[in-house]
Amino acid sequence: MIGRLLGPRRARQLQRFVRNGKLTILCLFLTVIMFRGYLGAGRFGTPEKDLDDIRETLSYIRRRAEPRRVLEEALMAAQGELKSAENAAAGSNNYTDFDISKIFRDEDDGVEEFRRDPSQPYSLGPKISNWDEQRAEWLERNPKFPNFSGRINKPRVLLVTGSSPKPCENPVGDHYLLKSIKNKIDYCRLHGIEIFYNMALLDAEMSGFWAKLPLIRKLLLSHPEVEFLWWMDSDAMFTDMAFELPWERYKDVNLVMHGWDEMIYDQRNWIGLNTGSFLLRNSQWSLDILDTWAPMGPKGKVREEAGKVLTRELKDRPVFEADDQSAMVYILASQKEKWADKVYLESAYYLHGYWGILVDRYEEMIESYHPGYGDHRWPLVTHFVGCKPCGKFGDYPVERCLKQMDRAFHFGDNQILQMYGFIHNSLGSRKVRRIRNETSNPLAVRDELGLLHPAFKAVKV
Amino acid sequence: MGAEATYSAQKRSSTILPQTTAAAANGAARGHLPKGRQADRTFNNIKITILCGFVTILVLRGTIGLNNLVSFEAEAESQYLIEETRRIVAAIRSDDDPLDSDSDSDSNSDASEKTPNSNSSSILGPKITNWDEDKKLWRRRNPQFPYYINGRPKTYLVTGSPPRPCENAIGDHYLLKFLKNKIDYCRIHGIEIVYNMAHLDKEMAGSWSKLPLMRRLMVAHPEAEWIWWMDSDALFTDMVFEIPFHRYRGSNLVIHGYPDMLFKEKSWIALNTGSFLLRNCQWSLELLDAWARMGPSGRIREEAGKVLTSNLKGRPAFEADDQSALIYLLVSEQERWMKMVSIESSYFLHGFWEGLVDRYEEMMEKYRPGFGDERWPFVTHFVGCRTCAAARCLRSMERAYNFADNQVLNLYGFRHRGLVSPNIKRIRNESITPLVNVDKFGIRNSLRGRRG
Repeated sequence: MIGRLLGPRRARQLQRFVRNGKLTILCLFLTVIMFRGYLGAGRFGTPEKDLDDIRETLSYIRRRAEPRRVLEEALMAAQGELKSAENAAAGSNNYTDFDISKIFRDEDDGVEEFRRDPSQPYSLGPKISNWDEQRAEWLERNPKFPNFSGRINKPRVLLVTGSSPKPCENPVGDHYLLKSIKNKIDYCRLHGIEIFYNMALLDAEMSGFWAKLPLIRKLLLSHPEVEFLWWMDSDAMFTDMAFELPWERYKDVNLVMHGWDEMIYDQRNWIGLNTGSFLLRNSQWSLDILDTWAPMGPKGKVREEAGKVLTRELKDRPVFEADDQSAMVYILASQKEKWADKVYLESAYYLHGYWGILVDRYEEMIESYHPGYGDHRWPLVTHFVGCKPCGKFGDYPVERCLKQMDRAFHFGDNQILQMYGFIHNSLGSRKVRRIRNETSNPLAVRDELGLLHPAFKAVKV
Repeated sequence: MGAEATYSAQKRSSTILPQTTAAAANGAARGHLPKGRQADRTFNNIKITILCGFVTILVLRGTIGLNNLVSFEAEAESQYLIEETRRIVAAIRSDDDPLDSDSDSDSNSDASEKTPNSNSSSILGPKITNWDEDKKLWRRRNPQFPYYINGRPKTYLVTGSPPRPCENAIGDHYLLKFLKNKIDYCRIHGIEIVYNMAHLDKEMAGSWSKLPLMRRLMVAHPEAEWIWWMDSDALFTDMVFEIPFHRYRGSNLVIHGYPDMLFKEKSWIALNTGSFLLRNCQWSLELLDAWARMGPSGRIREEAGKVLTSNLKGRPAFEADDQSALIYLLVSEQERWMKMVSIESSYFLHGFWEGLVDRYEEMMEKYRPGFGDERWPFVTHFVGCRTCAAARCLRSMERAYNFADNQVLNLYGFRHRGLVSPNIKRIRNESITPLVNVDKFGIRNSLRGRRG
């Protein structure tokens, strides 16, 4: 019909035009989709996400034999079910499917912010060279804040630990953090130690396990009355409430970590020491070692490159970005003359005790020994390395980790409860039962372990 | 004629091609194409098919996602993992424990001790009659455990939560944050913290559990002068304010409330037992004994609930709770107890959150920490948050927590990025003489100076 209208030649031209046009539109459409993919168009639009998905699917098949657990999907699935069932109105009373990140929002309140100059190489702060003098002078001016806390020969200690300010990705993670801090509160109350629980990321560049460095420096400088700062990971628990640290042994050293001299200085083994629980004296030396420690930390290329160096230099270290523990091993091994004389690698008791070799022996310990040893007979600290109760993935099966954390918690808690006449029904049980009757003359009865009024809490009279 | 012939011949020849193509087209229509053309056409078709196929896949991937197009086995695997995890979490949250000994036998033996009308024992245990003398003697013999430090009485702050995980994960997160807040206040003010996570007394469960706990702490720690109970849903929002202990030399119980509401109206919310102080002495032990009479779960608590509802203004009908029971006790046995009770309303020993959380910005603008009253509340208590809307409650808790945390971070030169942000910003540069800032911003230092 068009042919009759326009003439045969015109008609063919039109047909060709239309055909070309179709092809052009198709190609244009394709281009738009590709651009959308590269510039980002949500969760499923990017080719990178595709590659990730492919990688993950393939690795699923590879990893099937390993007992890994994916809690995120469980949470998402649970949330998905609930969302479909619940009324999503703003006035909903339901906390379970409430997404807390809807509340979190950065706001500007007008107070000026100070930022580190990004063009400068990373540093924890301006170099201080006379901290010992500054601090000594302050202590003299403030006799009400002694650094030897009035206890007999005991330095003033601040225990520092912390966790993320956002809720855990794991639905029971916060509960275990709560139990862990309660455990630390109990030990520190008995031993007259102060606690600082950190929930703030002071420096975005030093994230993850490096976040403790700027925090430690800040606390040392802000609390000159503190003689020793005791860093402890949130996944470490006290399991010997009666063990008092041998402060006398450390009067001439500035850094105490659990580890072995041969493994560090001879073997350069990356697990020759553990930075999950260590003591650092408040002194110029400590500021200097923090400054030496920090450069491997800043997120991004620096940390990646440093990781490669560490894997190359240290024994048995797998390939991953630089972590604070490997960095410390490297510093001590390569700069031994500078630091080693003030570093004490403690192995006589479990300042850090790897949980894998301890948790199954608790019943045996209860039968054969008693609190106060701090060592393999009754460990001071049980450290759940690799369990990551707050995160999605750990290195160990979730069930074993959580169950054993409960056992360790109850093992330590029994020593607190016995002060008041109670004990857990078993190491796996939350319930408690009485072991001592109430009496009308309570002061005549002493608790078996003598923890109510222990010698290490007594003040100088 | 020849020219015409050639013209027509030319014309004929010029029309040959079109005719040929027309014939060719007709030929194609009839299915007889030369091979070249056919291949061309097929090739074109294939090109277009591939192009369209590609576009379809792109669009599909945009809507469904690659995973769903590829994995079936992985699906089943992740389903299994999800089930496993749900089972583990449910097992952790549940109450029963196959390893637990039969709890019935325990409670039977407990019940036989708890005959409330006996002269020698009360609900909480055997009656102690000589506590003041015993305690004084112990303190004299043990000066190495002082009960007064730097002019302040030794105080134990007691709080707690149930031993199992919260029903919703966000609940545990706020328990953790609120505990951190208490740790901060107590570190600054030299107060000991006891966090209880054990059901010490099955009969006195729920909000009554604080009574046996307080009694136990009193008799175990004679060096403690005050035991301060604080609910787990209460937050310190004034880090500078200190309890004015000198005001309470003649009192044994310090509690927030309004005397009018208590004696005139007999209102069930005249006092608040979410945050109160009890001196460690014989009087307090006797108060706890009398108070505990309405506590034992079961018939006693039910009946007591009815008595309380009928006697107190505004109280709904439910089993006896510790707050109503205390109010009723103080009102009905006024002469015995009231002269040693300090009902405090000049500062927010307990501050009901509803009227406070929205005014934080105004407070930050006009006032400063240290007042403890409506200008800068000492404690913000999230009573009844379980029944309110999740979003409002959680937002308010976050605001209150950050409001308080700003006061702690101030010493270190940081501040939250707004009252609903978990992120912080630096408000003071690092200095090579940090002790200047310590003297200026440290709360403890300024307090010690004042106290002398």
